[in-house]
Amino acid sequence: MKLKKSTLTIFAIVCGLLMIAPIYFLVVGAFKTPDTVFDLSLHLSNFTFDNIKQVFSETNIVRAIVNSLIVSVTVTVVAMLIHAMAGYALARLNFPGKTFTFGWIISTLMVPFSVIMIPLYMVVQNLGMANSYLGLIVPMIFNAYGIFLFRQFYLEFPKELEEAAYVEGLSIAGTFFRLVLPLSKPIIVPLTIGFFTANWNNYLWPMIINQKEELNVVQVALANIVGGGYETEWSVMLAAALISAIPTFILFFIVQRHLVEGVKTTGIK
Amino acid sequence: MKRMKKNRRKRNEVVTAYAFLLPNLVGLTVFVFFPMIYAFYVSLHDWNALSPKVFIGFDNYIEMASDKRWWASVGRTFLFTLIYVPALYCLSLFFAVILNNLKQKYQSIARTMFLLPFAITSVISAVIWMFLYDPRNGVLNQFLSSLGFDKLEFLGSTNQALVSIVAVILWINIGYNMIIFMASIKEIPKDYYEAAKIDGASAWRAFRSITFPLLRGTSTFILIVTMIASFTVFDQIMVMTSGGPASSTEVSVLYIYKQAFEFLNMGYASALAVILFLIIFILSLAQLRLYTKKG
Repeated sequence: MKLKKSTLTIFAIVCGLLMIAPIYFLVVGAFKTPDTVFDLSLHLSNFTFDNIKQVFSETNIVRAIVNSLIVSVTVTVVAMLIHAMAGYALARLNFPGKTFTFGWIISTLMVPFSVIMIPLYMVVQNLGMANSYLGLIVPMIFNAYGIFLFRQFYLEFPKELEEAAYVEGLSIAGTFFRLVLPLSKPIIVPLTIGFFTANWNNYLWPMIINQKEELNVVQVALANIVGGGYETEWSVMLAAALISAIPTFILFFIVQRHLVEGVKTTGIK
Repeated sequence: MKRMKKNRRKRNEVVTAYAFLLPNLVGLTVFVFFPMIYAFYVSLHDWNALSPKVFIGFDNYIEMASDKRWWASVGRTFLFTLIYVPALYCLSLFFAVILNNLKQKYQSIARTMFLLPFAITSVISAVIWMFLYDPRNGVLNQFLSSLGFDKLEFLGSTNQALVSIVAVILWINIGYNMIIFMASIKEIPKDYYEAAKIDGASAWRAFRSITFPLLRGTSTFILIVTMIASFTVFDQIMVMTSGGPASSTEVSVLYIYKQAFEFLNMGYASALAVILFLIIFILSLAQLRLYTKKG
Protein backbone atom coordinates (compact mmCIF):
# COMPACT_ATOMS: atom_id res chain seq x y z
CA MET A 1 0.00 0.00 0.00
CA LYS A 2 2.77 2.40 0.93
CA LEU A 3 4.63 1.72 -2.30
CA LYS A 4 1.46 2.29 -4.27
CA LYS A 5 1.06 5.77 -2.81
CA SER A 6 4.58 6.78 -3.76
CA THR A 7 4.02 5.50 -7.31
CA LEU A 8 0.89 7.62 -7.51
CA THR A 9 2.78 10.64 -6.22
CA ILE A 10 5.54 10.25 -8.78
CA PHE A 11 3.00 9.75 -11.56
CA ALA A 12 1.04 12.86 -10.53
CA ILE A 13 4.17 15.02 -10.28
CA VAL A 14 5.45 13.83 -13.67
CA CYS A 15 2.07 14.65 -15.25
CA GLY A 16 2.15 18.00 -13.46
CA LEU A 17 5.59 18.70 -14.91
CA LEU A 18 4.25 17.90 -18.39
CA MET A 19 1.42 20.37 -17.74
CA ILE A 20 3.84 23.18 -16.96
CA ALA A 21 6.36 22.23 -19.67
CA PRO A 22 4.74 24.53 -22.30
CA ILE A 23 5.11 27.44 -19.86
CA TYR A 24 8.77 26.53 -19.37
CA PHE A 25 9.31 26.68 -23.14
CA LEU A 26 7.53 30.04 -23.27
CA VAL A 27 9.78 31.53 -20.58
CA VAL A 28 13.02 30.09 -21.93
CA GLY A 29 12.17 30.87 -25.57
CA ALA A 30 11.49 34.50 -24.76
CA PHE A 31 15.13 34.97 -23.75
CA LYS A 32 16.83 33.20 -26.64
CA THR A 33 18.36 34.65 -29.78
CA PRO A 34 16.18 34.22 -32.89
CA ASP A 35 18.41 31.51 -34.41
CA THR A 36 18.61 29.43 -31.22
CA VAL A 37 14.97 29.69 -30.17
CA PHE A 38 14.27 26.08 -31.15
CA ASP A 39 17.49 24.80 -29.55
CA LEU A 40 16.44 22.89 -26.46
CA SER A 41 19.83 22.93 -24.79
CA LEU A 42 20.40 25.69 -22.29
CA HIS A 43 23.59 27.59 -23.13
CA LEU A 44 23.90 30.77 -21.19
CA SER A 45 25.59 32.39 -24.18
CA ASN A 46 22.33 32.20 -26.15
CA PHE A 47 20.42 34.22 -23.61
CA THR A 48 19.46 37.75 -24.49
CA PHE A 49 17.13 40.54 -23.42
CA ASP A 50 16.89 41.83 -26.99
CA ASN A 51 13.49 40.22 -27.57
CA ILE A 52 12.02 41.88 -24.53
CA LYS A 53 13.52 45.23 -25.52
CA GLN A 54 12.20 44.80 -29.04
CA VAL A 55 8.70 44.08 -27.75
CA PHE A 56 8.77 47.20 -25.62
CA SER A 57 10.12 49.42 -28.38
CA GLU A 58 8.37 48.08 -31.47
CA THR A 59 4.97 46.91 -30.28
CA ASN A 60 2.24 48.58 -28.24
CA ILE A 61 1.85 45.67 -25.85
CA VAL A 62 2.35 47.78 -22.73
CA ARG A 63 -0.39 50.17 -23.76
CA ALA A 64 -2.56 47.13 -24.53
CA ILE A 65 -1.95 45.69 -21.06
CA VAL A 66 -2.99 49.02 -19.55
CA ASN A 67 -6.13 49.02 -21.73
CA SER A 68 -6.98 45.49 -20.61
CA LEU A 69 -6.54 46.52 -17.00
CA ILE A 70 -8.80 49.55 -17.42
CA VAL A 71 -11.49 47.46 -19.11
CA SER A 72 -11.35 44.43 -16.80
CA VAL A 73 -11.17 46.40 -13.57
CA THR A 74 -14.01 48.75 -14.55
CA VAL A 75 -16.27 45.91 -15.70
CA THR A 76 -15.57 43.95 -12.52
CA VAL A 77 -16.11 46.82 -10.08
CA VAL A 78 -19.34 48.02 -11.67
CA ALA A 79 -20.61 44.46 -12.13
CA MET A 80 -19.98 43.58 -8.48
CA LEU A 81 -21.89 46.63 -7.30
CA ILE A 82 -24.98 46.38 -9.50
CA HIS A 83 -25.18 42.58 -9.41
CA ALA A 84 -24.98 42.63 -5.62
CA MET A 85 -27.82 45.17 -5.56
CA ALA A 86 -29.96 43.15 -7.96
CA GLY A 87 -29.20 39.88 -6.18
CA TYR A 88 -30.12 41.44 -2.85
CA ALA A 89 -33.41 42.80 -4.19
CA LEU A 90 -34.30 39.38 -5.60
CA ALA A 91 -33.37 37.53 -2.42
CA ARG A 92 -34.64 39.84 0.29
CA LEU A 93 -37.07 42.49 -0.87
CA ASN A 94 -40.72 42.02 -1.74
CA PHE A 95 -42.12 43.81 -4.74
CA PRO A 96 -44.75 43.13 -7.39
CA GLY A 97 -43.43 41.10 -10.34
CA LYS A 98 -40.57 39.53 -8.39
CA THR A 99 -40.91 35.99 -9.73
CA PHE A 100 -41.28 37.21 -13.28
CA THR A 101 -38.27 39.52 -12.96
CA PHE A 102 -36.09 36.73 -11.62
CA GLY A 103 -37.23 34.33 -14.35
CA TRP A 104 -36.57 36.91 -17.03
CA ILE A 105 -33.09 37.77 -15.73
CA ILE A 106 -32.10 34.14 -15.41
CA SER A 107 -33.42 33.31 -18.89
CA THR A 108 -30.80 35.62 -20.40
CA LEU A 109 -28.27 33.04 -19.21
CA MET A 110 -29.42 30.88 -22.08
CA VAL A 111 -28.07 33.23 -24.72
CA PRO A 112 -24.43 32.50 -25.60
CA PHE A 113 -22.41 35.55 -26.54
CA SER A 114 -21.58 34.28 -30.02
CA VAL A 115 -25.29 34.12 -30.88
CA ILE A 116 -25.84 37.83 -30.22
CA MET A 117 -22.44 39.21 -31.23
CA ILE A 118 -23.73 40.60 -34.56
CA PRO A 119 -26.78 42.52 -33.25
CA LEU A 120 -24.78 43.55 -30.17
CA TYR A 121 -22.20 45.08 -32.47
CA MET A 122 -24.98 47.03 -34.22
CA VAL A 123 -26.54 48.18 -30.95
CA VAL A 124 -23.24 49.37 -29.53
CA GLN A 125 -22.34 51.12 -32.77
CA ASN A 126 -25.70 52.89 -32.89
CA LEU A 127 -25.19 54.05 -29.32
CA GLY A 128 -21.97 55.67 -30.55
CA MET A 129 -19.83 53.49 -28.31
CA ALA A 130 -17.82 51.65 -30.97
CA ASN A 131 -14.07 52.27 -30.90
CA SER A 132 -14.15 53.56 -27.34
CA TYR A 133 -13.61 52.29 -23.82
CA LEU A 134 -17.38 52.48 -23.30
CA GLY A 135 -17.97 49.99 -26.09
CA LEU A 136 -15.38 47.65 -24.64
CA ILE A 137 -16.70 47.97 -21.10
CA VAL A 138 -20.45 48.55 -20.88
CA PRO A 139 -21.86 45.49 -22.74
CA MET A 140 -19.62 43.16 -20.73
CA ILE A 141 -21.01 44.29 -17.37
CA PHE A 142 -24.43 42.71 -17.70
CA ASN A 143 -24.36 39.06 -16.80
CA ALA A 144 -27.13 37.14 -15.11
CA TYR A 145 -24.66 34.67 -13.66
CA GLY A 146 -23.36 37.31 -11.25
CA ILE A 147 -26.88 38.32 -10.19
CA PHE A 148 -27.80 34.69 -9.68
CA LEU A 149 -24.85 33.91 -7.42
CA PHE A 150 -25.37 37.06 -5.33
CA ARG A 151 -29.01 36.08 -4.92
CA GLN A 152 -27.99 32.60 -3.75
CA PHE A 153 -25.63 34.14 -1.24
CA TYR A 154 -28.21 36.57 0.16
CA LEU A 155 -30.86 33.86 0.48
CA GLU A 156 -28.62 32.23 3.07
CA PHE A 157 -27.52 35.47 4.71
CA PRO A 158 -28.69 35.75 8.38
CA LYS A 159 -31.77 38.00 8.62
CA GLU A 160 -31.15 39.06 12.23
CA LEU A 161 -28.45 41.56 11.31
CA GLU A 162 -30.69 43.47 8.96
CA GLU A 163 -33.56 43.47 11.42
CA ALA A 164 -31.29 44.98 14.05
CA ALA A 165 -30.31 47.69 11.57
CA TYR A 166 -33.95 48.49 10.82
CA VAL A 167 -34.63 48.88 14.54
CA GLU A 168 -31.73 51.34 14.63
CA GLY A 169 -33.63 53.32 12.01
CA LEU A 170 -31.45 52.54 8.98
CA SER A 171 -33.19 52.53 5.60
CA ILE A 172 -33.18 49.41 3.41
CA ALA A 173 -30.62 50.89 1.05
CA GLY A 174 -28.53 52.11 3.98
CA THR A 175 -28.62 48.66 5.53
CA PHE A 176 -27.50 47.09 2.30
CA PHE A 177 -24.61 49.42 1.57
CA ARG A 178 -23.33 49.85 5.14
CA LEU A 179 -23.99 46.45 6.61
CA VAL A 180 -24.73 43.73 4.06
CA LEU A 181 -22.33 44.63 1.25
CA PRO A 182 -19.22 44.76 3.48
CA LEU A 183 -20.17 41.30 4.79
CA SER A 184 -20.50 39.84 1.28
CA LYS A 185 -16.80 39.13 0.83
CA PRO A 186 -17.24 35.33 0.56
CA ILE A 187 -19.17 35.78 -2.68
CA ILE A 188 -17.45 38.94 -3.92
CA VAL A 189 -13.99 37.37 -3.91
CA PRO A 190 -14.71 34.40 -6.21
CA LEU A 191 -16.93 36.50 -8.48
CA THR A 192 -14.28 39.21 -8.76
CA ILE A 193 -11.76 36.61 -9.85
CA GLY A 194 -14.27 35.17 -12.31
CA PHE A 195 -15.27 38.50 -13.85
CA PHE A 196 -11.74 39.83 -13.99
CA THR A 197 -10.25 36.75 -15.66
CA ALA A 198 -13.15 36.37 -18.09
CA ASN A 199 -12.75 39.97 -19.20
CA TRP A 200 -8.97 39.87 -19.26
CA ASN A 201 -9.31 36.80 -21.47
CA ASN A 202 -11.90 38.37 -23.76
CA TYR A 203 -10.76 38.39 -27.37
CA LEU A 204 -13.76 38.12 -29.68
CA TRP A 205 -15.73 41.15 -28.48
CA PRO A 206 -12.81 43.64 -28.39
CA MET A 207 -11.77 42.42 -31.84
CA ILE A 208 -15.26 43.15 -33.21
CA ILE A 209 -16.03 46.43 -31.50
CA ASN A 210 -12.72 48.26 -31.60
CA GLN A 211 -10.65 49.14 -34.67
CA LYS A 212 -8.49 51.80 -33.01
CA GLU A 213 -5.00 50.52 -32.46
CA GLU A 214 -4.40 52.60 -29.34
CA LEU A 215 -7.44 51.02 -27.67
CA ASN A 216 -6.47 47.41 -28.43
CA VAL A 217 -6.65 45.13 -25.43
CA VAL A 218 -3.77 42.77 -24.77
CA GLN A 219 -5.34 39.66 -26.34
CA VAL A 220 -6.03 41.47 -29.60
CA ALA A 221 -2.62 43.16 -29.63
CA LEU A 222 -0.86 39.83 -29.12
CA ALA A 223 -2.95 38.08 -31.77
CA ASN A 224 -2.04 40.92 -34.17
CA ILE A 225 1.67 40.47 -33.47
CA VAL A 226 1.37 36.75 -34.23
CA GLY A 227 -0.90 36.98 -37.23
CA GLY A 228 0.27 40.34 -38.47
CA GLY A 229 1.78 38.91 -41.63
CA TYR A 230 5.19 40.36 -40.78
CA GLU A 231 8.08 37.99 -40.55
CA THR A 232 8.05 38.22 -36.77
CA GLU A 233 10.70 36.07 -35.16
CA TRP A 234 9.48 33.37 -32.78
CA SER A 235 11.72 34.71 -30.04
CA VAL A 236 9.98 38.10 -30.23
CA MET A 237 6.50 36.56 -30.31
CA LEU A 238 7.31 34.47 -27.25
CA ALA A 239 8.66 37.53 -25.46
CA ALA A 240 5.44 39.40 -26.27
CA ALA A 241 3.39 36.44 -25.02
CA LEU A 242 5.45 36.23 -21.83
CA ILE A 243 5.01 39.93 -21.08
CA SER A 244 1.26 39.62 -21.67
CA ALA A 245 1.11 36.64 -19.34
CA ILE A 246 2.75 38.36 -16.38
CA PRO A 247 -0.35 40.13 -14.98
CA THR A 248 -2.43 36.94 -14.82
CA PHE A 249 0.50 34.95 -13.43
CA ILE A 250 0.85 37.41 -10.59
CA LEU A 251 -2.89 37.30 -10.02
CA PHE A 252 -2.82 33.51 -10.09
CA PHE A 253 -0.36 33.23 -7.26
CA ILE A 254 -2.25 35.79 -5.18
CA VAL A 255 -5.67 34.23 -5.62
CA GLN A 256 -4.90 30.53 -6.05
CA ARG A 257 -6.27 29.70 -2.63
CA HIS A 258 -9.48 31.60 -3.38
CA LEU A 259 -9.72 29.89 -6.74
CA VAL A 260 -9.74 26.52 -5.04
CA GLU A 261 -12.20 27.68 -2.37
CA GLY A 262 -14.32 29.61 -4.85
CA VAL A 263 -15.11 26.43 -6.69
CA LYS A 264 -17.29 25.46 -3.79
CA THR A 265 -19.27 28.72 -3.92
CA THR A 266 -19.51 29.30 -7.64
CA GLY A 267 -19.30 25.79 -8.99
CA ILE A 268 -22.55 23.92 -8.84
CA LYS A 269 -22.69 20.48 -7.35
CA MET B 1 -48.85 55.08 14.04
CA LYS B 2 -47.11 51.73 13.94
CA ARG B 3 -49.19 50.73 10.94
CA MET B 4 -48.28 53.88 9.07
CA LYS B 5 -44.64 53.19 9.69
CA LYS B 6 -45.08 49.67 8.40
CA ASN B 7 -46.78 50.91 5.26
CA ARG B 8 -44.06 53.40 4.64
CA ARG B 9 -41.47 50.69 5.09
CA LYS B 10 -43.32 48.56 2.56
CA ARG B 11 -43.45 51.35 0.01
CA ASN B 12 -39.83 52.03 0.65
CA GLU B 13 -39.07 48.36 0.09
CA VAL B 14 -40.73 48.33 -3.33
CA VAL B 15 -39.01 51.53 -4.42
CA THR B 16 -35.62 50.28 -3.21
CA ALA B 17 -36.11 46.95 -4.98
CA TYR B 18 -36.84 48.58 -8.33
CA ALA B 19 -33.99 51.03 -7.89
CA PHE B 20 -31.60 48.17 -7.10
CA LEU B 21 -32.75 46.23 -10.14
CA LEU B 22 -32.90 49.14 -12.54
CA PRO B 23 -29.30 49.16 -13.86
CA ASN B 24 -29.46 45.47 -14.66
CA LEU B 25 -32.93 45.56 -16.15
CA VAL B 26 -31.89 48.33 -18.51
CA GLY B 27 -28.52 46.75 -19.29
CA LEU B 28 -29.81 43.25 -19.86
CA THR B 29 -32.60 44.59 -22.06
CA VAL B 30 -30.28 46.69 -24.22
CA PHE B 31 -27.28 44.36 -24.38
CA VAL B 32 -28.78 40.86 -24.24
CA PHE B 33 -32.54 40.72 -24.68
CA PHE B 34 -32.94 43.22 -27.49
CA PRO B 35 -29.97 41.85 -29.49
CA MET B 36 -31.54 38.40 -29.21
CA ILE B 37 -34.79 39.61 -30.81
CA TYR B 38 -32.90 41.81 -33.22
CA ALA B 39 -30.80 38.84 -34.40
CA PHE B 40 -33.95 37.15 -35.65
CA TYR B 41 -35.22 40.38 -37.24
CA VAL B 42 -31.93 40.97 -39.07
CA SER B 43 -31.87 37.34 -40.21
CA LEU B 44 -34.95 38.08 -42.34
CA HIS B 45 -33.04 40.74 -44.29
CA ASP B 46 -30.40 41.03 -46.93
CA TRP B 47 -27.94 43.43 -45.41
CA ASN B 48 -24.27 44.10 -45.94
CA ALA B 49 -23.99 46.65 -43.08
CA LEU B 50 -23.43 49.54 -45.51
CA SER B 51 -26.59 49.73 -47.64
CA PRO B 52 -30.14 49.73 -46.19
CA LYS B 53 -31.68 46.42 -45.10
CA VAL B 54 -33.90 44.66 -47.66
CA PHE B 55 -36.60 42.37 -46.26
CA ILE B 56 -36.34 38.94 -47.89
CA GLY B 57 -38.40 36.74 -45.55
CA PHE B 58 -36.83 33.36 -44.92
CA ASP B 59 -34.50 33.45 -47.95
CA ASN B 60 -31.40 33.43 -45.73
CA TYR B 61 -32.60 30.21 -44.10
CA ILE B 62 -33.31 28.67 -47.50
CA GLU B 63 -29.84 29.66 -48.69
CA MET B 64 -28.34 28.13 -45.55
CA ALA B 65 -30.00 24.78 -46.20
CA SER B 66 -27.75 24.29 -49.23
CA ASP B 67 -24.65 26.03 -47.83
CA LYS B 68 -22.21 23.12 -47.69
CA ARG B 69 -19.54 25.18 -45.96
CA TRP B 70 -21.97 25.99 -43.13
CA TRP B 71 -23.05 22.40 -42.56
CA ALA B 72 -19.44 21.28 -42.73
CA SER B 73 -18.68 23.80 -39.97
CA VAL B 74 -21.57 22.44 -37.91
CA GLY B 75 -20.29 18.89 -38.39
CA ARG B 76 -16.82 20.01 -37.36
CA THR B 77 -18.24 21.67 -34.24
CA PHE B 78 -19.92 18.39 -33.31
CA LEU B 79 -16.70 16.49 -33.99
CA PHE B 80 -14.77 18.95 -31.84
CA THR B 81 -17.30 18.47 -29.03
CA LEU B 82 -17.23 14.71 -29.40
CA ILE B 83 -13.46 14.66 -28.90
CA TYR B 84 -13.08 17.51 -26.44
CA VAL B 85 -15.88 16.92 -23.93
CA PRO B 86 -15.24 13.22 -23.12
CA ALA B 87 -11.48 13.85 -23.03
CA LEU B 88 -11.83 16.79 -20.66
CA TYR B 89 -14.29 14.92 -18.47
CA CYS B 90 -12.21 11.74 -18.17
CA LEU B 91 -8.86 13.47 -17.69
CA SER B 92 -10.06 15.94 -15.07
CA LEU B 93 -11.90 13.24 -13.13
CA PHE B 94 -8.92 10.88 -13.43
CA PHE B 95 -6.46 13.41 -12.06
CA ALA B 96 -8.91 14.55 -9.36
CA VAL B 97 -9.06 10.99 -8.04
CA ILE B 98 -5.29 10.54 -8.27
CA LEU B 99 -4.52 13.83 -6.56
CA ASN B 100 -7.04 13.18 -3.82
CA ASN B 101 -5.05 10.11 -2.83
CA LEU B 102 -1.81 12.04 -2.38
CA LYS B 103 -0.42 13.41 0.85
CA GLN B 104 -1.50 17.01 1.46
CA LYS B 105 1.91 18.44 0.62
CA TYR B 106 2.25 16.70 -2.74
CA GLN B 107 -1.40 17.24 -3.46
CA SER B 108 -1.10 21.00 -3.31
CA ILE B 109 2.11 20.98 -5.38
CA ALA B 110 0.50 18.84 -8.07
CA ARG B 111 -2.67 20.91 -7.95
CA THR B 112 -0.75 24.13 -8.54
CA MET B 113 1.02 22.55 -11.52
CA PHE B 114 -2.24 21.38 -13.07
CA LEU B 115 -3.93 24.69 -12.42
CA LEU B 116 -1.12 26.89 -13.72
CA PRO B 117 -2.17 26.70 -17.42
CA PHE B 118 -5.50 28.17 -16.30
CA ALA B 119 -3.61 31.43 -15.64
CA ILE B 120 -2.77 31.57 -19.36
CA THR B 121 -5.26 33.35 -21.63
CA SER B 122 -6.58 31.68 -24.75
CA VAL B 123 -4.54 33.85 -27.10
CA ILE B 124 -1.31 33.24 -25.17
CA SER B 125 -1.98 29.51 -25.14
CA ALA B 126 -2.40 29.68 -28.92
CA VAL B 127 0.99 31.40 -29.30
CA ILE B 128 2.80 28.92 -27.06
CA TRP B 129 1.40 25.89 -28.85
CA MET B 130 1.98 27.26 -32.33
CA PHE B 131 5.61 27.39 -31.25
CA LEU B 132 5.55 23.86 -29.80
CA TYR B 133 3.73 22.54 -32.90
CA ASP B 134 6.15 24.12 -35.39
CA PRO B 135 6.33 21.56 -38.23
CA ARG B 136 10.08 21.86 -38.80
CA ASN B 137 11.77 22.57 -35.48
CA GLY B 138 9.03 22.59 -32.88
CA VAL B 139 9.69 21.01 -29.51
CA LEU B 140 7.17 18.24 -30.17
CA ASN B 141 8.74 17.33 -33.49
CA GLN B 142 12.22 17.35 -31.99
CA PHE B 143 10.88 14.95 -29.40
CA LEU B 144 9.28 12.72 -32.02
CA SER B 145 12.48 12.69 -34.09
CA SER B 146 14.59 11.78 -31.09
CA LEU B 147 12.35 8.76 -30.57
CA GLY B 148 12.80 7.82 -34.23
CA PHE B 149 9.30 8.82 -35.39
CA ASP B 150 8.47 10.92 -38.43
CA LYS B 151 7.76 14.58 -37.86
CA LEU B 152 4.13 15.64 -37.83
CA GLU B 153 2.55 18.62 -39.55
CA PHE B 154 0.18 19.33 -36.64
CA LEU B 155 -1.60 22.61 -37.47
CA GLY B 156 -0.50 22.39 -41.10
CA SER B 157 -2.32 19.14 -41.74
CA THR B 158 -6.03 18.86 -42.47
CA ASN B 159 -6.17 15.64 -40.43
CA GLN B 160 -4.24 16.80 -37.38
CA ALA B 161 -5.15 20.46 -36.98
CA LEU B 162 -8.47 20.04 -35.16
CA VAL B 163 -7.11 17.46 -32.70
CA SER B 164 -4.06 19.65 -32.11
CA ILE B 165 -6.35 22.52 -31.14
CA VAL B 166 -8.40 20.24 -28.87
CA ALA B 167 -5.17 19.43 -27.02
CA VAL B 168 -4.46 23.12 -26.38
CA ILE B 169 -7.91 23.78 -24.95
CA LEU B 170 -7.71 20.63 -22.83
CA TRP B 171 -4.38 21.79 -21.50
CA ILE B 172 -5.92 25.05 -20.26
CA ASN B 173 -9.08 23.60 -18.75
CA ILE B 174 -8.18 20.26 -17.15
CA GLY B 175 -6.88 21.86 -13.96
CA TYR B 176 -9.93 23.95 -13.24
CA ASN B 177 -12.39 21.10 -13.81
CA MET B 178 -10.14 18.86 -11.79
CA ILE B 179 -10.42 21.11 -8.73
CA ILE B 180 -14.21 21.18 -9.11
CA PHE B 181 -14.17 17.38 -8.98
CA MET B 182 -11.70 17.40 -6.08
CA ALA B 183 -13.97 19.71 -4.07
CA SER B 184 -16.91 17.35 -4.54
CA ILE B 185 -14.89 14.22 -3.81
CA LYS B 186 -13.79 15.77 -0.51
CA GLU B 187 -17.45 16.04 0.51
CA ILE B 188 -18.04 12.30 0.22
CA PRO B 189 -18.06 10.87 3.76
CA LYS B 190 -14.91 8.87 4.52
CA ASP B 191 -16.94 6.08 6.21
CA TYR B 192 -18.27 4.98 2.82
CA TYR B 193 -14.75 4.10 1.73
CA GLU B 194 -13.89 2.50 5.05
CA ALA B 195 -17.00 0.33 4.84
CA ALA B 196 -16.05 -0.64 1.29
CA LYS B 197 -12.55 -1.49 2.45
CA ILE B 198 -13.89 -3.74 5.20
CA ASP B 199 -16.04 -5.49 2.59
CA GLY B 200 -12.84 -6.07 0.64
CA ALA B 201 -13.71 -3.82 -2.30
CA SER B 202 -10.86 -2.91 -4.65
CA ALA B 203 -9.98 0.74 -5.30
CA TRP B 204 -11.56 0.52 -8.75
CA ARG B 205 -14.71 -1.00 -7.28
CA ALA B 206 -14.90 1.75 -4.66
CA PHE B 207 -14.57 4.35 -7.39
CA ARG B 208 -17.28 2.72 -9.47
CA SER B 209 -19.83 2.25 -6.71
CA ILE B 210 -19.11 5.20 -4.43
CA THR B 211 -17.19 8.08 -6.01
CA PHE B 212 -18.64 8.01 -9.51
CA PRO B 213 -22.35 7.78 -8.57
CA LEU B 214 -21.98 10.47 -5.89
CA LEU B 215 -20.37 12.81 -8.40
CA ARG B 216 -23.40 12.71 -10.68
CA GLY B 217 -24.41 16.30 -9.93
CA THR B 218 -20.90 17.65 -10.49
CA SER B 219 -20.56 15.55 -13.64
CA THR B 220 -23.78 16.91 -15.12
CA PHE B 221 -22.70 20.45 -14.35
CA ILE B 222 -19.27 20.02 -15.93
CA LEU B 223 -20.62 18.21 -18.98
CA ILE B 224 -23.25 20.83 -19.76
CA VAL B 225 -21.00 23.84 -19.22
CA THR B 226 -18.19 22.22 -21.23
CA MET B 227 -20.49 21.26 -24.07
CA ILE B 228 -21.84 24.80 -24.41
CA ALA B 229 -18.29 26.18 -24.37
CA SER B 230 -17.28 23.63 -26.94
CA PHE B 231 -20.16 24.49 -29.30
CA THR B 232 -19.05 28.11 -29.20
CA VAL B 233 -15.28 27.55 -29.39
CA PHE B 234 -13.47 30.36 -31.22
CA ASP B 235 -10.40 32.05 -29.73
CA GLN B 236 -7.61 29.51 -30.18
CA ILE B 237 -8.87 28.48 -33.61
CA MET B 238 -9.00 32.06 -34.82
CA VAL B 239 -5.42 32.71 -33.71
CA MET B 240 -3.84 29.37 -34.61
CA THR B 241 -5.38 28.51 -37.97
CA SER B 242 -8.18 31.00 -38.78
CA GLY B 243 -10.13 27.91 -39.80
CA GLY B 244 -7.45 26.42 -42.08
CA PRO B 245 -5.81 24.47 -43.54
CA ALA B 246 -8.45 24.04 -46.25
CA SER B 247 -11.27 24.90 -43.78
CA SER B 248 -10.41 21.83 -41.71
CA THR B 249 -10.80 23.73 -38.42
CA GLU B 250 -13.56 26.11 -39.45
CA VAL B 251 -16.12 25.66 -36.65
CA SER B 252 -19.57 27.30 -36.64
CA VAL B 253 -18.80 30.44 -34.65
CA LEU B 254 -15.76 31.10 -36.83
CA TYR B 255 -17.86 30.76 -39.98
CA ILE B 256 -20.51 33.08 -38.55
CA TYR B 257 -17.78 35.56 -37.65
CA LYS B 258 -16.37 35.44 -41.18
CA GLN B 259 -19.79 35.84 -42.81
CA ALA B 260 -20.55 38.83 -40.59
CA PHE B 261 -17.30 40.70 -40.26
CA GLU B 262 -15.24 39.61 -43.27
CA PHE B 263 -17.88 39.10 -46.00
CA LEU B 264 -20.24 41.64 -44.34
CA ASN B 265 -23.30 39.42 -44.86
CA MET B 266 -24.91 40.58 -41.62
CA GLY B 267 -28.36 39.22 -42.46
CA TYR B 268 -27.11 35.81 -43.48
CA ALA B 269 -24.71 35.58 -40.53
CA SER B 270 -27.59 36.40 -38.18
CA ALA B 271 -29.63 33.54 -39.64
CA LEU B 272 -26.68 31.22 -38.97
CA ALA B 273 -26.46 32.54 -35.40
CA VAL B 274 -30.16 31.87 -34.84
CA ILE B 275 -29.68 28.27 -35.99
CA LEU B 276 -26.62 27.90 -33.74
CA PHE B 277 -28.80 29.11 -30.87
CA LEU B 278 -31.39 26.45 -31.68
CA ILE B 279 -28.68 23.78 -31.79
CA ILE B 280 -27.43 24.79 -28.33
CA PHE B 281 -30.96 25.44 -27.02
CA ILE B 282 -31.51 22.08 -25.32
CA LEU B 283 -28.15 22.37 -23.58
CA SER B 284 -28.88 25.92 -22.47
CA LEU B 285 -32.23 24.80 -21.12
CA ALA B 286 -30.55 22.03 -19.14
CA GLN B 287 -28.02 24.54 -17.80
CA LEU B 288 -30.82 26.88 -16.76
CA ARG B 289 -32.57 24.06 -14.90
CA LEU B 290 -29.35 23.29 -13.04
CA TYR B 291 -29.15 26.87 -11.81
CA THR B 292 -32.79 27.23 -10.83
CA LYS B 293 -33.06 23.82 -9.21
CA LYS B 294 -30.40 24.79 -6.73
CA GLY B 295 -32.22 28.04 -5.92
